[in-house]
Amino acid sequence: MKVTRNERVNNMTIASMQGVIKRYGSHVVLDYIDLDIQEGEIIGLLGPNGAGKTTLIQTLTGMIPFDRGKIELFGNSKNPFSNQNKERIGLVTQEITIFEELTAKENLQFFAGVYGLKRQEKKKRVEEALEFVGLADKGNKVPARFSGGMKRRLNIACALTHRPRFLIMDEPTVGIDPQSRNYILEAVKKLRENGTTILYTTHYMEEVQAIASSVTIMDQGQIIKNGTVEELIQTVQHEEKVRIDVTDPDSVPVNSLEKIAGVKKAIVAGSQIIIISTFGSGNLDRIITLVKEHAGVLGIQADKPNLEDVFLTLTGKQLRDKEEE
Amino acid sequence: MRVLSTVKFTVLRMARNYIVLLLLLVIPIILITIFSFILSESVTETGVPYHYQNALTMVLVFQLFAGAIVMYLIDHDLFKENRMRIYTLPFNQRMYAFSIMICGAGYSILLGVLLMIYTQFVLGIIWANWAWMIYIISLMAILSIIVCLIFTFSVKKYKIAERLSELYGVGFVVLAGLFFPMPENIFFDFFGTYGNPLTLSIMSINEMGQSNTGKAWFQANILLVAIVLLFIVMLNLGRRRKL
Repeated sequence: MKVTRNERVNNMTIASMQGVIKRYGSHVVLDYIDLDIQEGEIIGLLGPNGAGKTTLIQTLTGMIPFDRGKIELFGNSKNPFSNQNKERIGLVTQEITIFEELTAKENLQFFAGVYGLKRQEKKKRVEEALEFVGLADKGNKVPARFSGGMKRRLNIACALTHRPRFLIMDEPTVGIDPQSRNYILEAVKKLRENGTTILYTTHYMEEVQAIASSVTIMDQGQIIKNGTVEELIQTVQHEEKVRIDVTDPDSVPVNSLEKIAGVKKAIVAGSQIIIISTFGSGNLDRIITLVKEHAGVLGIQADKPNLEDVFLTLTGKQLRDKEEE
Repeated sequence: MRVLSTVKFTVLRMARNYIVLLLLLVIPIILITIFSFILSESVTETGVPYHYQNALTMVLVFQLFAGAIVMYLIDHDLFKENRMRIYTLPFNQRMYAFSIMICGAGYSILLGVLLMIYTQFVLGIIWANWAWMIYIISLMAILSIIVCLIFTFSVKKYKIAERLSELYGVGFVVLAGLFFPMPENIFFDFFGTYGNPLTLSIMSINEMGQSNTGKAWFQANILLVAIVLLFIVMLNLGRRRKL
């Protein structure tokens, strides 16, 4: 599925994927991916687990080969994964990829050395990176003594010592406390102010809404929509969403709900029935009557659309499983 | 050569792995010390003090386990947790793997030499030919690392590779007849003389001690040939694992 970004910035294209296909056997993991990343942008790559976000990153960084298509990095399509280009990229991995046996400072020195920084510069950048992620006083401690959030921040710092022009962050806030998450989001905003181009993958739509200049939504290996947050929300504003808390959601006939005039989609999510209708359809009475016939109604709420709704409308499923929340 | 900048940190990681330090230094020291007290008065049929023979065997036995730290670091950095990060770094990943191998060999040889120093200066065992002893320790360490990496590259589950490496170490100790005597037949005799790195190393050092230089070189060269052949096997398996 080919999607063209609605709004293009007239900056240099940092990374470009054109018609990229990646298969594992007969399973298509990336299905004709077209993605352009302009300098200075923060692209939020949003999708549920298994959408293909990490595979996209692995392909974009040359870690795994792709079957068809073209990738261009910093204007180089002949040898996009050259060491020269790798020097301009920083990768924050989804897994915490630090050396547990080395102190925080030694971890950063390892990466700074690989990026070819000289002694004085290396020392300065290591201090800077530790300061940036709020670990300046923990430089001589080994990560084994760190909390999950501190390890995540060190994981980010490891990708920053060489001041990359293009930073790829693969779900950097998975499994951490809200305080560390906020710290990381603030750090990303600071990086944006410094002009770093960022590709930020997550399945938390509130993070994307907070930091991204544009959003790309992925599902089942395809890019299904992209644009700014406002643009994407506008695409579903002609819809109304009602959440009905019920006593026994499984007994409510979803098919019958979808036959009511104006109803576009009805979904059971935990103890709720989510109903998306055409804007101004005036079908709430009929919906509640039908639901009441099969289960007790505990509460009703109408939502303003957000990225979650965009995803729901486009794919018919929720961005996050209830268990994840 | 940006890989060179990583050497210091690889050595630090090895030195801070206390399990390896325990296995390759502390346990041998304890065992050699205990046995040297027990066997201090005894001599072999050829008149060599038993505690010398015991110390020699212990120093070499633990080299059979020298590959453990290397296989752990290579698996961790290039196949498991750190793989994604390491592959996006602007250096040659294969050279990085070699650097870990070389550091591992150096580290293991150093621990072997520390055991020699301890046994000579604390327990009073006289090592006749230090250079030859270190050469044989080096061969044993390199061979062990190569064998462990062959296991790492040839099986998908690291736990299985780990068990195989332990089997390699313990297996050759058993086959050398250190736990109980092996049956006396052509197979075990031939294998004990030409196919067991532990017995080859012990014999080579003993021959050199008795100034039988030719025999000592012959036995050491068998180890060397095994290293070269297995190194080629390891390279091919590494390529197949896209290293």
